[in-house]
Amino acid sequence: MVSSWHADVVVIGAGIIGASVAWHLAKKKVDVLVLEKSDPCSGTSGACDGMVFLQSKKPGVHLALAMAGRNRFDTLEQELDADIALQCSGGIMAITSEAELTAVNWFVQEQNQAGLGVSLLDIRQARELAPCLSPNLPGATFCSLDARVNPIYLTLAFLEAAERCGTRVLSRTPVMGIGLKTDGIFVLDTPQKTIETRTIVNAAGVHAPKIGKMVGLDIPITPRRGQILVTGPMAPVLDQCLISAAYVAAKYDPAIAESGHMGISMEQTEAGNFLLGSTREFVGFDRSTTLTAVKHILAETTAIIPALQDASLMRTFAGLRPYTPDGLPILGRVPSLPGFIMAAGHEGDGIALSPVTGQLIAELITDGTTCINLTPFCLERFSNGAVS
Amino acid sequence: MNRDLRIPGIIRGPEIHVTVNGRKITAFQGETLLAALTAAGMKTLGIGQSHDDTRGAVCGMGVCYQCLMTIDGQLDQRACMTVVHDGMTIETQGDLP
Amino acid sequence: MTLGIKCDTAIVGAGCAGVVAAHILADHGLDILVMDETPHTGGQSLRSLPWPQNPSIFTGLNRPGIRRLPGRIKTAPVPIMHRTQVIGIDGHLEILAEKNGKEIICITPQAVLLATGARETFVPFPGWTLPGVISTGAAQILMKGSGILPADNMVAAGLGPFLTAVSAEYLSNRGRLLSIADFGKMQGKLGMLTHGFHQFSKLLEGTRYLAKILGSKVPFHHQTMVLEATGTKELERVVLARVDNQGKIIAGTGKIYTTGCLAIGWGFAPNLELPLQAGCAILHDPELGGWVTAVNDAFESSIPGIFCAGEITGIAGASKSIIEGELAARGILEKLGREVDENRMAVLQRQRKHVLAFGAYFNRLHRVPDTVFCAIPDTVTICRCENITMGDIKTAVKKGYDTPALLKKALRCGMGFCQGRTCGPVINRILAAVTNRPAGDIPMLPVRMPVKPVSVRSFLQ
Ligand SMILES: Cc1cc2nc3c(=O)[nH]c(=O)nc-3n(C[C@H](O)[C@H](O)[C@H](O)COP(=O)(O)OP(=O)(O)OC[C@H]3O[C@@H](n4cnc5c(N)ncnc54)[C@H](O)[C@@H]3O)c2cc1C
Ligand SMILES: Cc1cc2nc3c(=O)[nH]c(=O)nc-3n(C[C@H](O)[C@H](O)[C@H](O)COP(=O)(O)OP(=O)(O)OC[C@H]3O[C@@H](n4cnc5c(N)ncnc54)[C@H](O)[C@@H]3O)c2cc1C
Repeated sequence: MVSSWHADVVVIGAGIIGASVAWHLAKKKVDVLVLEKSDPCSGTSGACDGMVFLQSKKPGVHLALAMAGRNRFDTLEQELDADIALQCSGGIMAITSEAELTAVNWFVQEQNQAGLGVSLLDIRQARELAPCLSPNLPGATFCSLDARVNPIYLTLAFLEAAERCGTRVLSRTPVMGIGLKTDGIFVLDTPQKTIETRTIVNAAGVHAPKIGKMVGLDIPITPRRGQILVTGPMAPVLDQCLISAAYVAAKYDPAIAESGHMGISMEQTEAGNFLLGSTREFVGFDRSTTLTAVKHILAETTAIIPALQDASLMRTFAGLRPYTPDGLPILGRVPSLPGFIMAAGHEGDGIALSPVTGQLIAELITDGTTCINLTPFCLERFSNGAVS
Repeated sequence: MNRDLRIPGIIRGPEIHVTVNGRKITAFQGETLLAALTAAGMKTLGIGQSHDDTRGAVCGMGVCYQCLMTIDGQLDQRACMTVVHDGMTIETQGDLP
Repeated sequence: MTLGIKCDTAIVGAGCAGVVAAHILADHGLDILVMDETPHTGGQSLRSLPWPQNPSIFTGLNRPGIRRLPGRIKTAPVPIMHRTQVIGIDGHLEILAEKNGKEIICITPQAVLLATGARETFVPFPGWTLPGVISTGAAQILMKGSGILPADNMVAAGLGPFLTAVSAEYLSNRGRLLSIADFGKMQGKLGMLTHGFHQFSKLLEGTRYLAKILGSKVPFHHQTMVLEATGTKELERVVLARVDNQGKIIAGTGKIYTTGCLAIGWGFAPNLELPLQAGCAILHDPELGGWVTAVNDAFESSIPGIFCAGEITGIAGASKSIIEGELAARGILEKLGREVDENRMAVLQRQRKHVLAFGAYFNRLHRVPDTVFCAIPDTVTICRCENITMGDIKTAVKKGYDTPALLKKALRCGMGFCQGRTCGPVINRILAAVTNRPAGDIPMLPVRMPVKPVSVRSFLQ
């Protein structure tokens, strides 16, 4: 029998974004119901890295949001009363060619002008920070604000904290349809229950467009696959999180983009395993991993940290980044549909941006205003033809 | 106590030697490293993830990965799946308590 | 460069099922490739000494069909690629394998036969991580595969016929067996007589083992299990205790044995990692031993072109694997457009029915009750790789982490080197037991390539 429930706010999706939104609302005594189609953290938030990386962000709204987001991490463990494996030992961007070095020079200047302290190191200095780096690299950059967390622990910690404040989480409860009554009340269809609410937060990650369709909205989020490799546990050699400069440098030098080098990322978890990532592929919702990607990632990462050659490849997995055409998340109310709020499309930054996203959406719902202007993140930016 | 664990009456391959943590032990070509270590009375092969407990082989058939050792310089090799050869060098991984 | 190989059929696993299938396919002129991660041919039951001058002594090889097999293995005209672990299969039947721990090879066959066999399962107890606590399989492999006793003296404990077999083998090799603790009842063994009508040779074999043990005067305790194992760095003592009819330990019945070796085994679980990684459908049936791959009459799985045979379609021992190896080979021949002998198929299907019936009886008889999993003390390590305890699991379950995938996220159990092979079957049973759900409601952990750890260097070649 299908019974009817009510909640002040219904959050669709128990990924890191939905979980953070729920907790930030619950802290403000809002009655929240989270609906999750399978299990918490079974989507992208359970298949990603946990870097809170600032130095790679483009100066402007993106970097500003990321820096606001970064600040929240300092007190998060305490606020959540949970171990999220936060490690604030900075981040390294490894430069793998002379061409990259030139491009990165420009980049570092821009970051420092934007107020983010990034230093350019020669390889000797870089190896003092991280002796595991290959002596053959031309150099590296370092930013002490870069950090990392365990994204799964953080997602679950958000949810558990929300539940302690009274939030209800319904797992294995997919939203299958949404109706809108004349009095502005949404009616959500699930196999188990019908749920009524005045406010919906669409935090369905790569599935946000499907939720949008249920209310007649066109949401331009597409899955962008990232494959990650996990090595067996190794003695601790890398404190910092690390990316290669190729991805950033490609924005400054098109020749680098064509060289076939992709941006890779590496982090060593508290258990000693390395996470080596990741590809950026548009292959629909296919979450399988491929030999080509494995070989590519291993070739690039072992060139940066040669000791990885001794490791075992233990696991691979793939996650789907919720990609938007301009690389920025979609946040805020949808004017045509009051009561429908977007919180999705964080592409490769959802972990880093999760605390600030939750905070902003909660402010929006309870106060009507937010401490950061949400206009650059609105859904309408795509329909206005502002973005190609 | 020090009874030879090698079952008598079996025709074995040539006698060879392998070195475990610097100690030379006898083995017979064809047998697995786990067998040679067992015959040499060595049961503790590694440590657990929390670094305060000792571990030895369990399944003997390549499933449990509790017998991981560094063999000829290669990390994380299963003793039970490795056939010995003369001059093989083996090290336990982590500091045994 | 990755070496690429084309063939008609690739067979994973050179155990009974794989070898039988290989012979039949080769006899029909098919180009086949058999891969096995071990250095030997024959899988778990046809394991022999690496030195051919010795007569083969196989456990339980008086059964029809098996007797001829060792000879066939030795004269095998089929290429068997040893020390080759298959690490993944993708949707287009492309097989990835690591050869000699050194290089990745890629095989593109028209059909694949998965015959990956089974491994042992356990019920964890305090002290089971101490060096010296080994599996009954390890004890057997040391004796059969290297001619070495696992220890000068030992205690054997667990459940099922394999415990009896290994105990008898150890005694035959002049091992000093201090005690056998069988969780099952003595009546269970007698009940086999009525179910073994078609399985006369198996009964004979079981009786031989029993006779060996009873003749040796080693204490053979039924309804008894390990209470704990203790020792400072290695195993020094084992405490056995009696259980009641519900499988609960009876207080005050503990008996201490001083030994440095304890062999434990609670039965077998199929190696489903490759079928799961490939996306083959699985089904749960306690009479087949729990989760197994689902196959049709031709032994094709839900993925066209991927066939499965042997223990991975249901635990019932070597005879079933041999029959299924042949049936699957004939299924593959049919798939590849060859003619098949329908009469032979019918005979095999009939034989299979009998071994399945016997297997079902065995699996029912040796199903560990939920009470045993509920009763595991909180301090006991369940996931050996990541040191996750029963208490950790129970706490997480209370918070709602009630599937293997959720537990892995919350606790990391199954994230270690063994990829959940050891703790996986245990955790599934614990979850069912503590949440009072049927075991079939607890899904298996998803599996991705590589299904076994591979050296990074292999990919750099
Ligand atoms: C390889 C890779 C590496 C990455 N590395 C980083 C990094 O280092 N740092 C960083 O900050 N970010 C990183 N990211 C990005 C980050 O993982 C994502 O931005 C983030 O996880 C998105 O979170 P989400 O909550 O929006 O989506 P999800 O986690 O996917 O959550 C959405 C949830 O909605 C549920 N859902 C969908 N449809 C329905 C429905 N109809 N009804 C109910 N529920 C539904 C889904 O089941 C899912 O659980 C990475 C991503 C990938 C793929
Ligand atoms: C430890 C143990 C001991 C046993 N001893 C006996 C016994 O003495 N007598 C008896 O009758 N029965 C014994 N059995 C029962 C046994 O399962 C069956 O008798 C029979 O061997 C099953 O045959 P099979 O072909 O299905 O699998 P197996 O004989 O197990 O063969 C499977 C083969 O596949 C290989 N393999 C698995 N995964 C991969 C991979 N990814 N890549 C490459 N190769 C792979 C394995 O190395 C193995 O050689 C034992 C079982 C176990 C687990």
